[in-house]
Order: sequence, then structure tokens, then C-alpha cells
Amino acid sequence: MPLGKSKSFFNGKRARFPTLLATHFSHQTVILLSYQQLNGFMTQVPKTSKVKAIVPAILLPRLRFLAWFAILFTTSSLSYANTAFAAAPEESSRTNTKTSSKIAKVDSALISNDLPIKTKWSTGETLGKKPAVYFHAWGGDPQINSYIQWLAKRVKQKYNIHLQHVKLTDTSEAVSRVLAEKSADNHQQGQVDLVWINGENFASMAKYQLLAQGWVSQLPNFWLTNPSENEAMTRDFGLPTQGMEAPWGQASLTFYYTPSIVVNKSKIPKDPKNAYQNSIRHAPKNINQLLIWAKQNPGRFTYPKPPDFLSLSFLKYALITLNQHQPAQVKSSLYQAVTPQSQVTLLPVLWAFLDKLHPHLWHQGRYFVASGTALQRLVGDGEINLGFTFSAAQVPAAVERYNLPKNTRSFVMQDGSLSNIHFIAIPYNAANSDAAKVVANFMLSVEAQAKKQQAKIWGDSTVLDVTQLSQQEQLLFSTEQQHPSALPVSSKITALSEPHPSWSRLLTDEWLRRYGAQ
Amino acid sequence: MSHSFEINSLQIENLTIMRQQTPLLSLNETIKGGEVLTIMGPSGSGKSTLLSWLTGMLPKGFKADGQLYLNGANITKVASYQRNIGLLFQDALLFSHLSVAGNIAFAMPKSDNKARAIKISQALADVGLAGLENRQPESLSGGQQARVALLRVLLSQPKAILLDEPFSKLDSQLRQETRQLVFEQIRQHQLPVIMVTHDESDAIAANGKVFHLKTPQQDI
Amino acid sequence: MSHNLTSNFLNTPPLKNGTKRLDTLFSAVVKFSPKLLVAILILPVLGGLLGVFLPAFGWLPALDRTQFGLQGFQQLIQTPGIAQMIGLSFFSSIISGLLAFIMTILLLANYFDSPWLARIQGFLGPILVIPHAAAAIAIAFLITPSGMIARLLSPWLTGWQSPTDWLLPHDPYGISIIMGLTLKELPFLLLMTLSAIAQPDLNLKLRAQYRVALSLGYYPITAFFKAVLPNIYPFMRLPMLAILAYASASVEMPLILGPNTPPTLAVAIMNWFHDVDLSLRIKASAGAILQLFITLSVLLTWWLLEKTTQAIISKSLSNGQRTYGDTFWTKIINIFTLLLSCFITLALLGMVFWSFAGYWQFPLALPGQWVITHWQSALLQIQTPIINSLSIGLVATSIALILTLLTLEFEKQNGAQLSRFSSVIIYLPLMIPSIAFLFGLVWLQEAVHSKATFINVALTHLLFVLPYVFLSLATSYRLLDPRYAQVAAGLGASPIKIFLQVSLPQLLMPIMMASALGLAISFSQYLPTLLVSGGRLNTVTTEAVSLANGASRRTSAVYALIQMLLPAIAFSLIWLMSMRKKRQKAQAKRNNKTASYITKVNR
Repeated sequence: MPLGKSKSFFNGKRARFPTLLATHFSHQTVILLSYQQLNGFMTQVPKTSKVKAIVPAILLPRLRFLAWFAILFTTSSLSYANTAFAAAPEESSRTNTKTSSKIAKVDSALISNDLPIKTKWSTGETLGKKPAVYFHAWGGDPQINSYIQWLAKRVKQKYNIHLQHVKLTDTSEAVSRVLAEKSADNHQQGQVDLVWINGENFASMAKYQLLAQGWVSQLPNFWLTNPSENEAMTRDFGLPTQGMEAPWGQASLTFYYTPSIVVNKSKIPKDPKNAYQNSIRHAPKNINQLLIWAKQNPGRFTYPKPPDFLSLSFLKYALITLNQHQPAQVKSSLYQAVTPQSQVTLLPVLWAFLDKLHPHLWHQGRYFVASGTALQRLVGDGEINLGFTFSAAQVPAAVERYNLPKNTRSFVMQDGSLSNIHFIAIPYNAANSDAAKVVANFMLSVEAQAKKQQAKIWGDSTVLDVTQLSQQEQLLFSTEQQHPSALPVSSKITALSEPHPSWSRLLTDEWLRRYGAQ
Repeated sequence: MSHSFEINSLQIENLTIMRQQTPLLSLNETIKGGEVLTIMGPSGSGKSTLLSWLTGMLPKGFKADGQLYLNGANITKVASYQRNIGLLFQDALLFSHLSVAGNIAFAMPKSDNKARAIKISQALADVGLAGLENRQPESLSGGQQARVALLRVLLSQPKAILLDEPFSKLDSQLRQETRQLVFEQIRQHQLPVIMVTHDESDAIAANGKVFHLKTPQQDI
Repeated sequence: MSHNLTSNFLNTPPLKNGTKRLDTLFSAVVKFSPKLLVAILILPVLGGLLGVFLPAFGWLPALDRTQFGLQGFQQLIQTPGIAQMIGLSFFSSIISGLLAFIMTILLLANYFDSPWLARIQGFLGPILVIPHAAAAIAIAFLITPSGMIARLLSPWLTGWQSPTDWLLPHDPYGISIIMGLTLKELPFLLLMTLSAIAQPDLNLKLRAQYRVALSLGYYPITAFFKAVLPNIYPFMRLPMLAILAYASASVEMPLILGPNTPPTLAVAIMNWFHDVDLSLRIKASAGAILQLFITLSVLLTWWLLEKTTQAIISKSLSNGQRTYGDTFWTKIINIFTLLLSCFITLALLGMVFWSFAGYWQFPLALPGQWVITHWQSALLQIQTPIINSLSIGLVATSIALILTLLTLEFEKQNGAQLSRFSSVIIYLPLMIPSIAFLFGLVWLQEAVHSKATFINVALTHLLFVLPYVFLSLATSYRLLDPRYAQVAAGLGASPIKIFLQVSLPQLLMPIMMASALGLAISFSQYLPTLLVSGGRLNTVTTEAVSLANGASRRTSAVYALIQMLLPAIAFSLIWLMSMRKKRQKAQAKRNNKTASYITKVNR
């Protein structure tokens, strides 16, 4: 059946799939996702690497186009879908952004008002007597944990769904669980209903077909992210999400710094902006300064050990910025699957950098903390002075909870800040997938997203397109008074996109080979 | 098979107990109600083995041939708790988690609680322990404990009683008193008794048949 | 057989049918329970091993691997640093075991006939019930560059204004792991030994031998080594082997205290099993097999050590030498004991400080601010984990208790101890590294019963609880005076009545003790809970470990303390009960005196 074969067309039997899928599935989402698969496929074939450079240009209008078709299919017949879709790949790029974005807007409105969906989900009637959703999510941060508790409280009130947060130390635990279930032929009663995921874990689950497909566009609130305008919502580390995961939040790599010696208060200039600049004036501002700083302050910086998420983020940041001098074509190979050639051109500068950096790290680079959160503890203990995180809001929160000193300051590197989106996905065998969809939809609601963005709650940036919301809804997202340790709103963030997920694996393996056993 | 049908008798018929393959002891005796058979012999001669056979708890490694009749009924294969043979050891072995009255009540057949309580008080008074119902066994003196143990056995309405060195832990004056009380009560109840002891004075006081076990040839 | 009929009719009171059925049921249950006990222990372990063996040789249908081969082992050999991982696992377990052993016998030797032994026992006893994870967290807090030791010595001695970058914990030589394991194993070994030699007969004999040696002019420590230790060691062997097996494959301690470039083999295996790259599971399974061999070789090494030492020492036992620098050793041991106590006290104090600390600048020895927010926010979140810990613990412990008691009752009724095979099986889960069979077990449980998470977790805990409950109850049950049961039977009490109303009440204290121990063991299970529940059941321990390397030392301290408090509460309840009992007994004795006085007066 098509689902089983999705792997094969992923591998290159391009011609077969559109009609095939269209014949077997009348559902709009599957077609939407199959189209995305096609794009994903195209980016993976080395021969068409040129396509990659123009992908954003082509993809954007195509997606819009697709969304438009998707809507049509909900109301039109299968045969229409078949012919219309068969024509789609032949369609050359449409560049009339204005019209198509309008269409997308109208369409999303249409979908969110789509009656069967709405009645089914807003009431939760079809979910059985006591629906429970096991949400497998990394549980190392109390702030995030209590946000998830809030979510649980709300979905209980709204839909009478019992949301249980299964706290993972590593998301891969959930991946192995689903795999174990698959190997035990448990295809219906999986224990993981919803999983917080992105990047490599997603790539892995997608590769082994462990995720439910095509459910995302069923979520009325998904369309609030304005996926047609916002390509990032349907791409996870360069991979198309194929309707297997819904965006939940986004973050960029933020550094924080505590000067060793407490600055004499009288010396601090009164102007708050200058005060901020002054307090981070000794902190490194780019990758090269980092090395110099580490040499001057031996043992005062470290980064986690791969395959930790934050560790790979740091390595990727270094990889990208150290290769910034390379020609554009070479740099673009970062966003494609690793090839022997791209390895040879891009990696040596990273290893050279790390070879120089490591002797000056905490514990002389002989021990690396296992998880990114441990950095905060080390900074708090005064063992190191420079840390980094993906959730900038954690820093002021940690100061409030005494875990970081009051003089901690956040900043972003001037040579760029790695940015990514994190998602939620439903395994293919989830026992409570319907309830999980309801929860996922609520997680994308204005209420939940606005709550999440508040610095005191979590501070995770929303994935919704706030500009499309009503004035009143927009107000919910406005930020309050800035905490002195928070990243100033005025910070100029140069976003660096996540490289292709295959780089993560490579970086991990190579890192472990070089530094994993000393 | 025919046996003299006697009420209140314990009959050991052609008993031979073997340890591994070596015969340990042989016995063929009938004890009538109110009579005491005294078994004497050095340690290792099989006294306690005999007792354990009588109670149906012969340890592993021993084999026994022969029959045991209680009041004419063959009880050789009957489970120990259904034999109605009461045991008295040198230690009173009162259950420390139960009170004095509780210990006795534990032994009595199930019936109306009030009636039982009255019976217990009466029995205690009979042996000079009036008013000690609710005491913990540990708070009694050795002689008192021995008397409670005796009451406990008697009130369980046994059909025979085995005494295993019953008085050896008591000092001489107490010993005489207790011994007198035990034998008195036993005669009163017309119960057949087997007593194992190594104290001649016990045997004399029992005033019954004495059976001497021989020292085993090989063992210490 | 007319005779029988008549006599039955005349003499035996007719038994009530119900009672009889209950009795047959009881004897059937008793007869069955040793078999059930063995099955409960052996099946999951064997099944789990199978579930690891098959993938190790390349058979993993989930990844479409159905051909047997050795790629797993090839990958394993090619892993960078594999030799170091093996070495780290091997040496950290052997050295920590050896240290714990030496410390135990030195403590015993020095304080054998002194009231201090009881005091040390009382002091170390609570540490026995501290879960490994919490102990590791406490030790990490103590020896880390910004930890209590550094704070106490700075800046007056060291001159450090900010934490210096020393390599503890996480040192590449495994010193921190060895410290943690030794400190955790020492109380276990000491208490196991003490409880073994507390058996009245043995105790009398040992003390008599010790006094004889003293009277012959032997110095106390030498007297202990020459007259007592040879009799004690057989009782130490099994706990010793259990310690070594555990240490060679433990995960919590190396995870929190150990290095990671590379880590110990057990930690590496866990990481591979959890790796995003699912094909690594084949390598992980091969690693689990390797782990089995390492554990086995650690045990073998110990056996060799034992034999060698025996051969060397046996002659010197009777060489007549009365002292080997006894006075010197006494001093050393006294100092060592003092240091050890300080170390433990500081570690615990440090945790308490952190859990209440506001911002705590280095090198201040005390927090600048004291706050309760960490406790408040933790207590809000920890309710479910506590309930989970308690309910899993109660279920596992109850099953373990019932099975153990029935099995021991079977022993008693049969008048013979369990077969050698069965007694070995009881130790199986203690001897086989859990990481080697747990992954396979998860797979097995998936295949059999994928939804009953709670039951699965409780049954897996049972594997680890049962041996301890059995060990702690067996001695008391076997020491129970059989004449009580005989008297009761003579009084006409049925076996079930004897069991319920005679044996169990007499064993009340040991049973309570075993329950507390069972609960403590269950509370402390990390890997089994995590793997079998797939993270669905959060217990206090899984939370504590996942927060141990987390962002907040304060939250971590709170969780570790709660983790320690749970078993501590269980044990204090037992302690209170036993105190009450003691008081009652003392009261009874006083009454006894009054009573005998009254009797005398009456006479």
C-alpha cells in the first residue's frame, strides 16, 4: 500500500507517486504532503543540486498553490483531484505572490471553518469516555515542565483530555520506544501519543516510518502559522515535514555571560544601554573572539558532548561561521545531504578550531557535560563564565530562581545565531491519536502560544504569524518589562539556518572519533 | 487386624525408626489413660526423634515402620494438627504476641467467647494464677509460664500428651510443685502420656513404666 | 478396615468442609510458591537475555535485519575508546569492591568488641537505604570544584576566589566513580556481615574465639584477623559478589560521577540503546553481551584474589605472631573513620544547604540567602512521582513478601532448605548486570503485554526486590523455634492457622524490616523504571536522575533529598515500632519482677 511504498518513492521513483497517491487517498493532506515529499526528494538528489539554490523561490509559490488545491479537494471529487494533481508537477513556478497569498488566507479561513473538522475537534465528543494523551517531551527544564502542566490543565478543562507529560532525558528514548513497539508488532496501541521532536530525531523517525502522516493540515490552528508564507513551518532542519509534525515554537542560540569579578557599581554608566554594553564588553562576540577569550580565561568555557542537542547546535554554529569566507556554492552544501566532497571542504576548519579550543576549556576539554542544561549549573556555580542556550528566556528565569548570578547578561553572537523550529509529532501507532490531534491543535492556539511566549512562563517564540491575528490577539503576544539578564529586544539577530540533518550525524560521529576517547 | 478397643489409650505398635539404614530404636507399647510412659536415654539415643514421629513431624533422613493408634484409631498417617496430641516442652513457648488468656484461647476449640473467657479464668484460678488473664507472657515468672503452658495444652482437649523434658528448666522447689500439678491434671483428665526425660526423679514421680533407650553404637 | 471407620466416627470430630478446602488450598499454594518464586526470577532474566542475544548477532526484525552475523561485535570493537570503557568498568568495580571490603574488615577489626561498632552501624545504616543516584549527587556536590570541600578550604587555605578547574568529579581515571561506589558499598557490606554474624550461635562462638585469642596475648586487630575473619568471610562472599556485579554494570554512579570521554561500558551501552540512530541497537546488544563477560571476569578476578590471599595467608594464621603494628593501625582506622563520617556528613549537609540556597557565591561556605522556593516548586511537581514510587514499591514489596513467606513456609513444612539451584536463582538478578537483560525484557514485555505499564514496572521491580526481601527474611524465618509450630499443631491448629497466627506474628519485626528494605530497593530503581515504563511512569528516582545533570543544582538537591527521605520514612516507622516493642518488653520485665515479688510475698 502507498504508505508502505512511500519509502520507495522517497528513494527516487518519482514518476509513480502523484497518481498513485491521488488514487488511493482522497484526503487533501496526503496530496499536500506527497507534494512536499517530492520537493524533499528533489533536494536529496545530488544531480539536481542546482534546484536547491532556487528551492525557496520555487517552493514558496508552489506551496501556496498546493494549499489552494488542497482546499479544492476537500469539496471536490476525487477524480478532479486526480487530474488536477497530475498536472501540478508540470506547472511552472508561479510568482504572483500577492494573489496566491490572498488565496492562502482565504483558504486557511475555509479550512478552519471546515465543519466536520471543527465539530469533531472543538467538542472532543468522538474521543471516548476518558481520553488520555501521553506526551513524550524532554523534561529537564522545570519552566517548560510547568508550562506543559498548564497545557494539561487547559485540555482537561476544554476537552476533558487527560494529558500526561512523559519526561524524557533524551527525545531519542521515545524514538526507541516506538521502534520497540514496531518490532513487537504493536501497530495500534503505541504508548507514545505525542512527541516533542525536531532535527535528527525527526529524520530518524521519518526514515523508519514511525510517524503518522498527513494530520497536521487537519489542525485548524495550523493555518494560523501561515505555512504558505512561512516556509520554515513545514521544514525541519531542511527536511520537509510531510505533514508528520506540527510546528510548536522557535528559538535561536543565545549566549550568556557572567563576569568573574563583580563590577564596581559606581563605574556602571547610568544609561541602561551603555550599562549593558559595558557589562558584556569582555565577552567574545564572534567565533574567533571565542577562541581568544578561552585562551585568556582557561577553564571558563565549555560546551556539551554530542549528540546533545545544544552541543550539536554549538558545533553547527562554529561550522557555519568558520566557513563564512567560503564561496556561496560551497556554503550551500551545508544545507544538503553530506557528501564526501562537502566534508572535505567544510570540516577541517572546524576540527582545527576545536583542536585549538579544547585545551583551554573547562576540565581541559577532557570531560564534556552530557546535557546542555548543565552549562547553566556550571555558570551558576562560577565554574565557567560563558554559557549558551536555545531558550533565551531561561536566563532571566534562572536568575530569578537564584540559579544564575544577578550580573548575568544575555547576548547573541555578531557573526550569526543558529535558529530552528521545534515540532510535535504523532507516532503511527499512537493509541490515542485523535485526542493527540486535539491537544496538538490546542498547543497551536493563540491562547497556548501567547502563554508560551511570556518570558515568565517559558519565553519560547511563537510559531503563529502574529501579524495575521486580530489586534486583540496580537496584544497577548506583546512583551512586558525587560529583565536585565534577558536578551535585549533591540538585539540584532543574524539568523543562521540549520544545516541538513545528515550533518548532525556526521558531526557526532567524527567528534566522538576525535575527542570521544582520550 | 484387631485391637483391644480401649477408650483413652495410646498404642505404639511395632515401631522401628531408622536413620538412613541403621535402626535407631524399636518400641511396642500401650499407654492407658492416666498412665505415664517415661522414656529415658542419653542424648542422641533418639528421644526427640521418637517424639517427632509421635507428632507426625519426622525430619528428613529418618524412616519409620509401625503404627500409632490413639483411642483405637490409626493415626499413623494423620496430619500432626489433626492428631489431638498435645506437646509440652521444657520452655513454656508461650506466644509473645498474645496475652495469657489469648494463648489459652488460641488452643481452645471455637465456641462462644464469653464461655471461653469464663473457662479460662476458672482454669487459671485452679492453678493459682487468678487474675493474670491480660498479662503478657514475658511478665510471668518461669513457674507461672509453665502453668499457663500446661493449661493451654489441657484446654485444647487433647487425647494424649507428650512431655519433652518438661521440668528441666525449673529450679528444684518449683520443679516439684509443677510436676505434681501436671501429673495431677493428667490423671484427672485420664490422658495417656509419654514423657521424655533424663531426670530419674521425673521418672519416679511419674510412677509408671520406664523405657530406656540405648546409646547408639556409632554416634557420639 | 471397619475399625478405622468406627474410630473415625467415634473419635475425630468431623471437620468443616470449608476449613478443609482452605487447608488443601493453602498446602497447594505453599507447595507451588517455591516454583513460582523461581519462575518469577528466572523467566524475565532469561527472556531478557534472549532479547539481547538475538540482536547482538544481527537479528532485529524491526530494522529489517533477519540475518545472523557478527557486525554488531565488529562495530563494537571499532568503537573509539572501547578498551578504555572496558578498563574503566573493570577497574572501577574491582577497586571499589576491594576498598569497600578492606574498609569493612578494618572497621570490624577495630571495633569488633567495642560499643562503637553499634554506633557506626547506626550511622551507616541510613546510607544503605540512600539510592545510588542520590548518593552520587551528594558526592558530586561535595567534590566538585565549587563543592563543599573547596568552599571550606577557600580562600583561607587555597587562595581561590573562584572555583579552580580540577578534574573531580568526572575524572578520566574513574576515581570519582570509585569513591561513590565504595561509599555506597561499604555500608551494604558491613551491615550484611553484621547481620550474618548476629545469629546467636555464631555470635557466641565468634566472641568466644575472639576472647580466647585475646587471652592468648593476641592484639585486638590481629585477634580479629586470625580468629574471627576466617569464620566471617564465608558470610561476606555473596554480598561481595553482588556488590562487584552491580558495580561493574551500574549506570547511575558513572552517569553522575564518571567521565564521558569515554564513559564506562554500561553507560555507553545505554547511550547506544537510546541513540537516534536505531541501527546502533545491534552494537548496543553486542555491548550488553560484552558487559556480561566483563561482570563475569570481575567476579572471576575476585575469586582468584580470594584464593591467592587464602593461600598466602593460611600459614601465617598459626605462625604465632601476636601483633602486626596493631597500635598504629588502630590510630589509622580511628582517623579514617572520623574522616569518613565527616565526608558523609558534609555531603548530606551540602545537599541540604543547596536545597535552601538563594544565590550562593563561591567561596562562601554558607549560602548568602536561604529560600524555600526550590522546595515549594518541587513539591508542586513531585506529587505524581511520589505516588508512583509508593504504589510501585508497595505492589512489588507485597508480592515479594508473600512469595518469600510462602516459600519459607514450604521449607519449614518440608523440613529442608531450598535446593541449591533455587538458592542460586534467588541471587540471579543481583549477579547478572541489569543492563544486559533489561532491554531484552522491554522487548519481551512489549511482545506480551504492551499496555500494562504499571504491572510491567512493578514486576520488574519485583526482580530486584525479591532477592533482598528473601535474604532479609530467610534468616529470621529459619531461626524461628520450630517447637512453637509443633505446640500449635499439638493444640490442633491447622497449618494455615499456624502460618497466620503463630509464625507471622512472631516474625512481625523481621517482616516489617524486610518490607522497608523492599520499598527502599524499589524506590531506588532507576534503569528498570525508565526502560520498562518507557518513561511513562515517573518515579522520584527517575526525576532525580534526569535533573541531576540538569540546570539547577538546587532543584537537583531537593529531588535527591526527597529520594533519600522516602525510604528513610519507611525505616523510621519500623524503628519507632521496634522502640515501642522494646519499651513494652522492658515494661513487661518490670512487671515480671513485681509479679515474682508478689508471688514470693504470697508464699
